[in-house]
Amino acid sequence: MTDRNTIPSGPPGDELKACCAAAYSSDVVALLLGDSYHPGGTALTRRLADGLSLAEGRRVLDVASGRGTTALLLADACRVRVDGVDYAPANTALAQGAAQAAGLGERAVFTTGDAEHLPYPEAVFDAVVCECALCTFPDKARAAAEFARVLKPGGRLGITDVTADPDRLPPELTGLAASIACVADARPLEEYAEILAAAGLRTLRTERHDQAMTRMIDQIEARLNLLRMTAAGRLAEAGVDLEAAPAVLAAARTAVADKTLGYALLIAEKAA
Amino acid sequence: MNQAPAPRRKQERDEVFVEFTKSICPMCKAPVDAQVNIREDKVYLRKRCREHGEFEALVYGDAEEYVSSARFNKPGTVPLAFQTEVRDGCPSDCGLCPEHKQHACLGIIEVNTGCNLDCPICFADSGHQPDGYSITHEQCERMLDAFVASEGEAEVVMFSGGEPTIHKHILDFIDLAQARPIENVNLNTNGIRLAADTNFVAELGKRNQVPGKSVNIYLQFDGFDERTHLEIRGRDLRTLKQRALDNCAEAGLTVTLVAAVERGLNEHELGTIIEYGIDHPAVRSVAFQPVTHSGRHVPFDPLNRLTNPDVIRLINEQRPGWFQKGDFFPVPCCFPTCRSITYVLVDGEPGNRTVVPIPRLLNVEDHLDYVTNRVMPDTGIREALEKLWSASAFMGTQTTEEKLRATAEALDCAGGTSHAFGSGGACGIDLPRAVKELNEKAFMIVVQDFQDPYTLNVKQLMKCCVEEITPDGRLIPFCAYNSVGYREQVRAEMSGVPIASVAPNALPLADRLTTTPYGSKTAVEEETR
Repeated sequence: MTDRNTIPSGPPGDELKACCAAAYSSDVVALLLGDSYHPGGTALTRRLADGLSLAEGRRVLDVASGRGTTALLLADACRVRVDGVDYAPANTALAQGAAQAAGLGERAVFTTGDAEHLPYPEAVFDAVVCECALCTFPDKARAAAEFARVLKPGGRLGITDVTADPDRLPPELTGLAASIACVADARPLEEYAEILAAAGLRTLRTERHDQAMTRMIDQIEARLNLLRMTAAGRLAEAGVDLEAAPAVLAAARTAVADKTLGYALLIAEKAA
Repeated sequence: MNQAPAPRRKQERDEVFVEFTKSICPMCKAPVDAQVNIREDKVYLRKRCREHGEFEALVYGDAEEYVSSARFNKPGTVPLAFQTEVRDGCPSDCGLCPEHKQHACLGIIEVNTGCNLDCPICFADSGHQPDGYSITHEQCERMLDAFVASEGEAEVVMFSGGEPTIHKHILDFIDLAQARPIENVNLNTNGIRLAADTNFVAELGKRNQVPGKSVNIYLQFDGFDERTHLEIRGRDLRTLKQRALDNCAEAGLTVTLVAAVERGLNEHELGTIIEYGIDHPAVRSVAFQPVTHSGRHVPFDPLNRLTNPDVIRLINEQRPGWFQKGDFFPVPCCFPTCRSITYVLVDGEPGNRTVVPIPRLLNVEDHLDYVTNRVMPDTGIREALEKLWSASAFMGTQTTEEKLRATAEALDCAGGTSHAFGSGGACGIDLPRAVKELNEKAFMIVVQDFQDPYTLNVKQLMKCCVEEITPDGRLIPFCAYNSVGYREQVRAEMSGVPIASVAPNALPLADRLTTTPYGSKTAVEEETR
């Protein structure tokens, strides 16, 4: 998965649960979602790459690069030079190691850094990608401005992310479990486009991939069950309410079915 | 009336032509051209013999999966030795010939043709027969040596038959295998001797304790209805099966329940078989095999036979709380359409189980994609998954248990943020230690559609990794052995009795077949001409 150290802020009244999330999400979230996985998997990453007009030797930035899955795929399949930036130093090290092991050390370089203060000069990248991470950034406008700053004129931004309509989300999906599924601070697809537009990034194309969200809910359920089998007691101590899980997951499935919750792909462009 | 004729319109074909390949004529076994077509989301193989006409069979019940599984086709591994040369081309040169694309994940030794049952369904055409054969110590050694010469360190040899437990030297044969670099022995049995002879079961249990080796039981187990037993086995074996399983549990033997599944007979019992297996202490896996329409079997409709996606769909329907579409994943070592597997982790008490299919925990398809996805960060996960999604994977073997553990542990190394998990950090959960306990809870389900003279596609045959080892030291792909005529040749040579070429008991062929002395069918014309 991507950078999960940033804790999404819950809606008012959920401070207690947000607090639990703050204390424990770094471990529990990563285990439930897996760092190398984002909804849609590598098939969706390839679809994203198709929308970026990449060519050999172009420079691409992967924001919240996690263990490097997306960056390595782009470096290998599109023969681009990829910089990956992630908030967690351990992720940077793992991704760099994976790049070396794959013989892509020359084309994929990883750095520790903050999406809201990208450690790169202006106008150096032909493309920026950010998979399943924008929804977790507390200051999305600031992150969008950073994407725009490091992009060359005419450069493209590719995003896949959780979409949610916060006003219509059922109460089960605004608490701790929601933070785990990075639902609580996700926005509707149109709002992502607005945030990007305000930063000077014009949306060229959007696609809904809600099936990927359903698959992610299945995965969270399976991993919760795995934890229940192996470490139920400790999980309870960590503040995860296993008894509440079925209701939360059912609410999430219903929300996907009525399009309150979903997953989307978005391609935007910086003015030439 | 003088009406102008309606303009002639060109018609669309009702099928999508997807492959040109080779097969055999089910009547005379001559190699013939074949085509694979998709109609109404199903995949069919059609072929024509100059002599015997046209034949068509359903080969895969889900066209979308048939097409998309191509990317899970793992590059083959070259075996250390080939036994034959390329002369007439596939499937006439077995084998293995140098054109074969894969090594042997599993070697099968049929120790006899005799059996203590006379099942209406038996691809080996075995039974209480006066004129079969049993292999000698020397022949067994030669077969094992051929396997080792081809594999170096071999993973699994399966003793089969006939009924291998009635061969008086079967324990010696297991010893011969264990004296060689062959890690695991599988005993493929109907369980009659296991139910009656606890000394024999104890001897097997002893051999299962040999360090670095295992002996596992592959137990014929088709269901629970009396009718299922009578129609498939000719006898109600329900009490015997139960006793055999209890004896295996007593002796510490790991058992796979193997169900031959036939339309209209036991297709409704799949969920019950899985649940029974999960609840029985000796059972760690179930294998479902649509009835192989080779040898002896009940009449069938080739256009409405069971294929892997059909069996998986039935499993999902019969245990909807446990399984859903996507939980089974095709096996990359053979041709991906031949075999599908899932592993589940099971918790709770009988009647109130939590079942977690492993493919829901991680994206197996991202790790086992050999065409579009060459680079993934976790090569360790791919290696573990390759061993699990393989024809050599059997519960009870060391490799399979280790790789299950590796996969569960890989879930924990979910990157930087969770390294604390591994060391019992912030949350204090030591997952690696916790998953060590998981092996007891892991359960495997295999769905394997073997090819028969109707469905045979050399494309699949050329990458087959399940091989019959012949007494003269050849390795012949299982489906070629049963379909092309090799079984009849070997039996004739070994027993000295001429053997008729077996033809499938298919409904469209009914008036062109006659019964052989063993109960299988053969083409009428071969007898009269």
